[in-house]
Amino acid sequence: MRLPLDGIRIIEMGQLIAIPHAIKLLGDMGAEVIRIESCARLDNYRTHSLYENSAEGRHWDRAANFYEQNRNKYSLTLDLRNDDCIAALRDLISVSDVFAENFTPRVMRNFRLEYEDLRRVKPDIIMVSSTGYGYIGPWADYGAIGYTTEATSGLAHITGYKDGPPALPEIPYADYTAAEHTAFAIMAALAYRARTGKGQFIDVSQSETLTSTIPEAIMDYAANGRTAERIGNQDAAMSPHGCYPCAGKDKWIAIAVAANAQWQALCDTLDNPAWAADKRFADAASRLTHLDDLDALLSKSTAQWDQYELMTALQSKGVPAGAVLDGKRLLFDPHLQARGFYETAEHDPISGIPPLPYTGRPWKFSHTPGGLRSAAPTLGKHNRFALCEMLGMPTAQADSLEASGAIGAAPTRPSPPRIASIQEQLRRGQIIANDADYKQRLAQRFPHKAGMGD
Amino acid sequence: MQDRALEGVRVLDLTHHVAGPYCAKLLADFGADVVKIERPEGDIARNMPPFFNDEAHPDKSLLFAYLNTGKRSVTLNLKTATGNALLERLAADADIVVENFAPRVLPSLGLDYPALRRINPALVMVSISNFGQTGPYRDYKAADIVHYALGGLMYIFGSAEREPLKHALRQTQFKAGANAATAALIGHCHQQFSGEGQHIDISIQECVTSALRDTTSLYTYAGSIRQRQPAYTGDMPRSPVATADGYIVPIHFGGAVDWDGVADFIDEPALKDDSFATPESRFANAKALQEALEAGMSKWRKFELMREAHKRRGHIYGVVHSPAETLASEQYKARGYFADIEHPAFGNATYPGAPFIMSATPWRAASPAPELGQHNEAILCGKLGLSLSELDLLRASGVV
Repeated sequence: MRLPLDGIRIIEMGQLIAIPHAIKLLGDMGAEVIRIESCARLDNYRTHSLYENSAEGRHWDRAANFYEQNRNKYSLTLDLRNDDCIAALRDLISVSDVFAENFTPRVMRNFRLEYEDLRRVKPDIIMVSSTGYGYIGPWADYGAIGYTTEATSGLAHITGYKDGPPALPEIPYADYTAAEHTAFAIMAALAYRARTGKGQFIDVSQSETLTSTIPEAIMDYAANGRTAERIGNQDAAMSPHGCYPCAGKDKWIAIAVAANAQWQALCDTLDNPAWAADKRFADAASRLTHLDDLDALLSKSTAQWDQYELMTALQSKGVPAGAVLDGKRLLFDPHLQARGFYETAEHDPISGIPPLPYTGRPWKFSHTPGGLRSAAPTLGKHNRFALCEMLGMPTAQADSLEASGAIGAAPTRPSPPRIASIQEQLRRGQIIANDADYKQRLAQRFPHKAGMGD
Repeated sequence: MQDRALEGVRVLDLTHHVAGPYCAKLLADFGADVVKIERPEGDIARNMPPFFNDEAHPDKSLLFAYLNTGKRSVTLNLKTATGNALLERLAADADIVVENFAPRVLPSLGLDYPALRRINPALVMVSISNFGQTGPYRDYKAADIVHYALGGLMYIFGSAEREPLKHALRQTQFKAGANAATAALIGHCHQQFSGEGQHIDISIQECVTSALRDTTSLYTYAGSIRQRQPAYTGDMPRSPVATADGYIVPIHFGGAVDWDGVADFIDEPALKDDSFATPESRFANAKALQEALEAGMSKWRKFELMREAHKRRGHIYGVVHSPAETLASEQYKARGYFADIEHPAFGNATYPGAPFIMSATPWRAASPAPELGQHNEAILCGKLGLSLSELDLLRASGVV
């Protein structure tokens, strides 16, 4: 079946999340993506979270984050200090639609890969640069990652426990927000090019894209001079509104009561404990005033319940509630399973990874579903395809590039990364549990027919 | 004035609250022609704070003003046969319809995708809902915090010693809006090529779940379940640290942090104590390590610390901006990020502006958010050909 982005070729010089995730979204929908990698300087995501928590074998082809971000892509390794490699990259760009990168502007200047350079080889190229603070401006060359751009966006300042410092989630959250907007930007630029034949340069500041999602905070300060306090999980209008303990180790439920009928339904579900009749909790305004008392009493009741059972009981009475799912419970969640959210991929045998389920997309298309067609590429897997088949480079020249180490399928310095043992990770609190039989559990939940996928 | 990227794309916006309007706003501010259909009482977001000058008035919600720039507003009661029929006529020549009703609403009005497809086979219809159009949670009620919980972001947010946390405000709504806007344009791209329309189902839960790192994959790759980190971790201090005048996020790259280098840079000899000599001892003495780091950083002002970290050490330090500081940021100013927009009901206000810069087709909010039903005559008479007296009748009968 023809996919919406069939025929669109994207050259991705991405690392980590901000560009790889954006391009993954488009790759799922049919774009042909060629990832430019370096054997001398691996994408950091090839170096940790390894399969079986082991640095054996081709560890750079066994990293979870790399596989999560880079399915449906080709891998071409190029040493950009080599003139032939730079020439090959320019040749590739000359037959492509989009060039996407997330290095600091200094790197692009050094390799003469700025928009003005590229439009000389491909006048209608769409170039997108995603940087922490933007391609132009006094902070342009400041390095950044998702944690620091979340800090500068303004979001971290108003997020956190009531009595604590600003808080960040354990993922580089701003990178994803930037990626989601970057995918939109590329689609808008493609629509413009389809209409006019013109390309352009897109400058994404990861910090600014996140600021675009907190207008309440920005405009309240600009218009009213007000800065919100950090209030944890509380809400200015809803009460109760928070995260409450359930039975079991580190199990929780989120509850948000928006109306009195929901409050009554909550009390009914919890078998009308004595505090349900307390007049301090009779209406929303009063519940907000006595929030801490209410949360303490409510927690004692919820702690008697299994998180899924309480969610089901509350939702059956129309109370907004959700079990706080960990990574395992997400994989095994019945709703996500019913919707076929996770998709299984086969891996290149040299990686030593069996078929595994991967995270799906934020959308379902009725006629052109798209999806995971092939697992992320092993390093340099498509060197010959890209150079010889696509660009017509003579085999002898590719051989000599390989002999000189300018292209390759292994890191220049293949020293295995240091891996903390599972016991060590448990002791340090990086993980809360580990299932020794996870492979069987996954195989049972996500049965895989051989021959599917790549 | 420069062309915008999506000029000529016709969008019918049936959305309310936050996620749907943000999707349609992105399309509008990049040039699409967006007609917003509101129930005669108006989008609920017109009553959501913050308000300009704290005046709780449906024309003064700053959130609504932000989410609806560049759109035209038409009121229609879709529960009436006439309102329903007018909606069908508007859908007949739209490229894209965006809606975020609960999944049972549009089928009950006879305006779901199969119905609209009969009128306009090329239509791209984007439906945003809490849990998608199918599945056992389809009709579950939600709020932002419920999406954090069921989306998996909450479990890995906060301190291991305390309850899971969510961000302030309504991040999951905006996340869904941005993804929906991308999906709409991907559908539009296919429509332009093939003439084929389709229905796009956006689940806010899946928008959250599709953007997590090291969460489900830590289980599929190693059988591990990740949790919130302890308050003190030794080598991984990435929580904000207090300086003399606010917080900084000090990221020190590399598997093993060069603590001697950090000690020299921030001039805090206590960090060189023997009890912090190895990764093991740093973990064992993590609280003392954090306190030494805080003692050192408390002598710095945050912007100076950030600049010096980048210049002298290549450390990726980021300051925690209050919203006021984001508004005053030299970087944001140099890029012209914030936009001043004049609104008829409350005048000039500062808005977050271009989410990204397009060199040939820059972002532009072509008009402030519309007043309720401001474009009833322009659209219903001007476009659909109703007479003014017919419009009056519709008003009198509560259809518009």
